[in-house]
Amino acid sequence: MSEAGSGGGAAPPDTAGRGVAVEARELTRRFGPHVALDALSLSIRPGETFGLLGANGAGKTTFIRLVTGFLLPSEGSVSVDGISPVSRPAAVHARLGFVMETSRLYPELRVVGFLRFMAGARRLSGRTRDAAVARVIERFHLESVKERLIGNLSKGYQQRVSLAQAFLHDPPLVIVDEPTGGLDPVQQGEVQDVLRELRGERTVLLCTHDLEEARKLTSRVAVLNAGRLVAEGPTQELLGRDDALSLFRTPTEQTP
Amino acid sequence: MTALLALIRKEFVSLFGSPTAYLTLTMVALVSALIFFDHLKLYNQILFVYSTPTMGGFSSDAIPDHINLWDRVFFPVMETLGLTLIGAVPLITMRVFAEERARGTDELIVSTSLTPTSIVAGKFAVTYLFVTLMMLVSFVYPATAIERGGIGLQHLAATFAGLTLHGIAIASIGLACSAFASSQLVAAVSGWAVAFVLWDFSWMYPFVSEGVAKFLDGISLHPRYGSFAEGIVSLEHLVYFAGLALVALAVSRFAFDLRRVGA
Repeated sequence: MSEAGSGGGAAPPDTAGRGVAVEARELTRRFGPHVALDALSLSIRPGETFGLLGANGAGKTTFIRLVTGFLLPSEGSVSVDGISPVSRPAAVHARLGFVMETSRLYPELRVVGFLRFMAGARRLSGRTRDAAVARVIERFHLESVKERLIGNLSKGYQQRVSLAQAFLHDPPLVIVDEPTGGLDPVQQGEVQDVLRELRGERTVLLCTHDLEEARKLTSRVAVLNAGRLVAEGPTQELLGRDDALSLFRTPTEQTP
Repeated sequence: MTALLALIRKEFVSLFGSPTAYLTLTMVALVSALIFFDHLKLYNQILFVYSTPTMGGFSSDAIPDHINLWDRVFFPVMETLGLTLIGAVPLITMRVFAEERARGTDELIVSTSLTPTSIVAGKFAVTYLFVTLMMLVSFVYPATAIERGGIGLQHLAATFAGLTLHGIAIASIGLACSAFASSQLVAAVSGWAVAFVLWDFSWMYPFVSEGVAKFLDGISLHPRYGSFAEGIVSLEHLVYFAGLALVALAVSRFAFDLRRVGA
């Protein structure tokens, strides 16, 4: 088994500002007899904000874990900028920023301490690290809370911190998993405003089960249902359909 | 190296940002003091009995050889301390990997430039440093006994090395258990169980063949720990502790691979 994080090519790529492509070919992932992702083929173009939609358990998080190299595929392949996270995970990690669901942070760390740690973990050091931390603090409006413990922040601020760490190394691809889950409407709006600013700047893969959020933020979407790709196309076209909601229902939930 | 240093710094902040570290240090300091003074009190009572006129007064000839600071205080204290560490160290190691897994932050740090090997190495290094600090706290009283007993600095160093290596061995076991658990309680209980089983197999010797008994003796913690307390530092015992640490590192690293394949 290859070493996750090894494989060379860890130097920050010069693709920021344009974005990179994400390609999946017949990507399958099984957990014992359960097929979490079934022969998924998908292309995300450089620079687009792409929405991966589906109900809970549809396979969205499994897809993200395969892209980041956290899981290995059972069959098929996935690549970021033409690079496989299986054979060259470090090169893929240098190209992506990953925003997890709210509260997957270190509550015992201060905001600035956490950002310094994440910058160090991205191999930024000295002045480069400090400049990167200062840049994301300013961009995500964290100045007033930078010395506070993450555990004492509101969920909205915690999600901003989560977003900020993903931009420390200025990656050409940002993967955002359920960014507004558990947030109140005001906090949701704040996080969506931040994500809206990213459009066209780099590739964004947004995983959500919130159709309204997908309408506001993405240009193209794919819908997963029970691990299979059931629809793919421009957001307005696909989610504007009268039967859009039926795409999310599992076969047993379909009305006769 | 930048990523590893960042992880080590973060681990220290996380460790001392929780009350567990302070509670464990306090507990070890208190328990080692209690154990020491309890044995010292008993030793003084025995000396008092032998010093009464009917037992020969204060004549040193009247005190049997086996009534000495070494046998009556130092050895029993080290023995009890060794067992106490089996109880205390897993309280520190339980959170190291299990907490990351339960929070889901393992997924976040694996998506950075930190490799699973560097994550495991960084966490082991910080835990070993903390265990060494714990040993310094618990060694104050045995060191006093050694100094007062006129045993010498070399023996003191050997005993401290034995105590530290024993603590590190338990930490290695605890860390390996934590790497496979999502629950800190499961990590702690499994760490205690494995360490207690490995502590001493001598009770099994009457029931097994000579070959099996020899093998069990070879993997027991107690004989190695005991020899350091006697001032004996042998290469064989150093290799044993290094081997145990390496196996624990490899097992913890394997836990990451196991998650990648989804087992």
